[in-house]
Amino acid sequence: MRVSLFATCLVDLFQSNVGKATVELLERLGCEIDFPESQVCCGQPAYNSGYTKESKEAMKRMIDTFKDAEYIVCPSGSCAFMFHEYQHVFKGDPVWEPKAKKLAQKTYELTQFIVDVLKVEDVGARLEGKATYHTSCHMTRLLGVKEAPMKLLKNVKGLDFTELPGKEQCCGFGGTFSVKMAQISEQMVDEKVCHVEETDADYLIGADAGCLMNIGGRIDRKGKPIKVLHIAEVLNSR
Amino acid sequence: MTGTIQNREVFLNKIASQLGRTRITAPIERPTWKFRPQDEVLKGATQDELVEVLKEQCKKIHTTFYSTDKDQLSSLLDEVVSGYGGGPIVTWKDKRFADWGLDPLMKQEWPEKEMDVYEWDYTRGSENIAKAEQANVGITISEITLAESGTVVLFSDENKGRTVSFLPTTYIALIPKSSIVPRMTQAAQKMRQIHEETGHVASCINFITGPSNSADIELNLVVGVHGPVKATYIVINDL
Amino acid sequence: MPMKISNEQFKERVSKGIHDDFMRGAVSSAQDGMGVKRRIAAEELGNWEDWRSHGEEIRQHVLENLDYYLEQLSNNVAKRGGHVFFAQTKEEANDYIRGIVREKQAKKIVKSKSMVTEEISLNHVLEQEGCEVIETDLGEYILQIDDHDPPSHIVVPALHKNKEQIRDVFTEKLGYTKTSKPEELAAHAREKLRQEYLTADIGITGCNFAVAETGSFSLVTNEGNADLVTALPKTQITVMGMERIVPTFEEMEVLVSLLTRSAVGQKLTSYITVLTGPKEELNVDGPEEFHLVIVDNGRSNILGGEFQSVLQCIRCAACVNACPVYRHVGGHSYGSIYAGPIGAVLSPLLGGYDEFKELPYASSLCGACTEVCPVKIPLHNLLLKHREVIVEKEGKAPISEKLAMKAFGLGAASPTLYKIGSKLAPTAMSPFKDGDKISKGPGPLKAWTEIREFPAPNKERFRDWFKNREEGGK
Repeated sequence: MRVSLFATCLVDLFQSNVGKATVELLERLGCEIDFPESQVCCGQPAYNSGYTKESKEAMKRMIDTFKDAEYIVCPSGSCAFMFHEYQHVFKGDPVWEPKAKKLAQKTYELTQFIVDVLKVEDVGARLEGKATYHTSCHMTRLLGVKEAPMKLLKNVKGLDFTELPGKEQCCGFGGTFSVKMAQISEQMVDEKVCHVEETDADYLIGADAGCLMNIGGRIDRKGKPIKVLHIAEVLNSR
Repeated sequence: MTGTIQNREVFLNKIASQLGRTRITAPIERPTWKFRPQDEVLKGATQDELVEVLKEQCKKIHTTFYSTDKDQLSSLLDEVVSGYGGGPIVTWKDKRFADWGLDPLMKQEWPEKEMDVYEWDYTRGSENIAKAEQANVGITISEITLAESGTVVLFSDENKGRTVSFLPTTYIALIPKSSIVPRMTQAAQKMRQIHEETGHVASCINFITGPSNSADIELNLVVGVHGPVKATYIVINDL
Repeated sequence: MPMKISNEQFKERVSKGIHDDFMRGAVSSAQDGMGVKRRIAAEELGNWEDWRSHGEEIRQHVLENLDYYLEQLSNNVAKRGGHVFFAQTKEEANDYIRGIVREKQAKKIVKSKSMVTEEISLNHVLEQEGCEVIETDLGEYILQIDDHDPPSHIVVPALHKNKEQIRDVFTEKLGYTKTSKPEELAAHAREKLRQEYLTADIGITGCNFAVAETGSFSLVTNEGNADLVTALPKTQITVMGMERIVPTFEEMEVLVSLLTRSAVGQKLTSYITVLTGPKEELNVDGPEEFHLVIVDNGRSNILGGEFQSVLQCIRCAACVNACPVYRHVGGHSYGSIYAGPIGAVLSPLLGGYDEFKELPYASSLCGACTEVCPVKIPLHNLLLKHREVIVEKEGKAPISEKLAMKAFGLGAASPTLYKIGSKLAPTAMSPFKDGDKISKGPGPLKAWTEIREFPAPNKERFRDWFKNREEGGK
């Protein structure tokens, strides 16, 4: 199965480990990976700040970049959702709306792709330790992927899993919200970190680099001994 | 008596123009909705099952529940009223009380025990409200009873004062078993039907679900705020 | 109380909110408690999504045909002897009500909770007329006797106050001598308010849902105060936002069910009262005269535009109870009588962007509001639309942000620029690096690194790793 990887800019620039883990994991599951070179940012930061006009250029570029892909897989629920959102942004545009619809139809978040398309729930991963999982808002509420990460994590050998209290609550990332409303964002991420600590976990796992950068950055600043991992890294560990 | 309507045309024309069209003049048929989830609630439940649902719901709404046969109603009602500390009592003027064998209790036994029993009488005007305000117990009859929510439905008229169910300290609703329906859906249908048949709607229709309460202070539930502080439902089985 | 409740800047209000420990404890436990109750009430139905869809279709249908239903409503109210006044502005509404007050020479007015009367500052107008105005909802009553403290929640207006504060207010203003037990406080209010109902000249209510077919309207409470407000005074005035209407009792029933479950997790609240016209001739209780004031006050400008769906709102506050931002800043931070996500959408529309332009940004766009809305208002999308309007139509975004976004537009759309930019990132960021992280970032990163670490860019971008690997034959 040929998979075109939509890596996201955060992974490209800051979290290349996540990209590497995604590639190795999917290859092990029998996929052939390509990385369309002309991919840029999906446009979400500008779009979510109200700069729709500016973001449309990035969107068009991404639509073109992935037009020949069979499956598009993205290790971020939020960025994958953005691909699904394009069709609404281009609503009524005779050229781009149909293209955006096609893009959405073949775009999957990583765990969603593994569970729903590859039909795999046990990827043969092993990780010793106590873990909890942060459910990202865009992935669960907007993209609607709720069960897949849990199904996969349940089968990771050695992982002692505890549910995160207040898991439905936003971590306070929200893209530019985290800097624009830093004061509020701080309160939100602090509560999230408290909840993570309550679980006594060694690992905080998540499926979105943005949220992880936010919670991880706060955990780091506070000097807490909790390791933050992307779910691709967990599923790729053996 | 017909009322007045002021300032309407300019107001509604603005709405129509915002909606990008002219005013709607032809009657709109009530739409056939795509969704009707309300019909699914307690669908096909028997009358006995509805009574059970009502009974369970009463636990959640701080309401005492009894069911009884007609011949036991009088002694049960006496017991409940005594439990609430006796009179003064205010009731609707309703011949069903007599039909259900309550006249000896209401018109003889209670007055003999020096309990003040007042029957709503519109000819006496505002005295009714003073009586209701002083009453310890208010007694009315439920016309429609909603099992799902534990709600009694009352329709006001000249003999059925609104305040009988609000002003007294405690409240008792007599519920004919046959009045119990699954939920508010059936009551709303019935209300429309009455309107269609008679062209009239009671000026006040009350849906009462247990005693009054408030969680406005630190979200602590306080039972009994402006209306009654305690409530009892008595279902009468064999009417 | 007007819509705007504060002259402080948004950031100051937020800062005050964040440092109010009692308020934050109260709000977070309220959110947790009410959130669970709402969820149970929704899930026990087994087909909640169908209920939401039904609520949505009813509200959409009404808005699309609003002129028709309001005409039908007003005809039916008049047929029953009620008086209907259509007020395009708050001034028109207040003038009309003032006229009634003067005609009746009213001295005392009892009110049951109504957001729209807050919106048009009715109490202020009535007090200027020399009337004593008494709010009868317990929460509103507490705020009123505490020198008109503004509400902080649509459903639980005094949520930000603790029982000791309430006791102190009662002691000072009402000569209360008992403890801070909620039961005792409520009993005192009951006793005080009883006398007010019985002696008031006019009762004023809001309206949860008007029913076009019969000219009726419904009031939803737990305390029973609306019943006394409408049963005892001789004159009744009901003020409704023009969109709060349904075709028949059957749709009213659906929306009431959605409202009570979403607002307080109850199947139905203790009192749902459906009133039609003044009392019938022989009836003893109920008003002799009934006035319905239908208020536009900026709502019609929302119709037909991209924000129309906000008028579907039934004021349940489920979005407020789910909002993580409201959770930490509380209601007063919004500076509007409408707080939380619905307030952030509605306030700029009714009160203007000048006053409320920060509110659409007070959201992480997490979508919790949209998820719980019983009539499916896409709240977070509407916040996003506000941002778009602020940037593109109002031109109110900061210049620095505009430039950054322009650069983003260019950079993100062009693979070459993106590649160059991202390649340079590690070098550009290296002066700020502290090992593999950045603790004191420049420019927009400063706000980030004031509270958290920021990762240093990888030396080797993922795309370079991938390319090398491909070229190296894995």
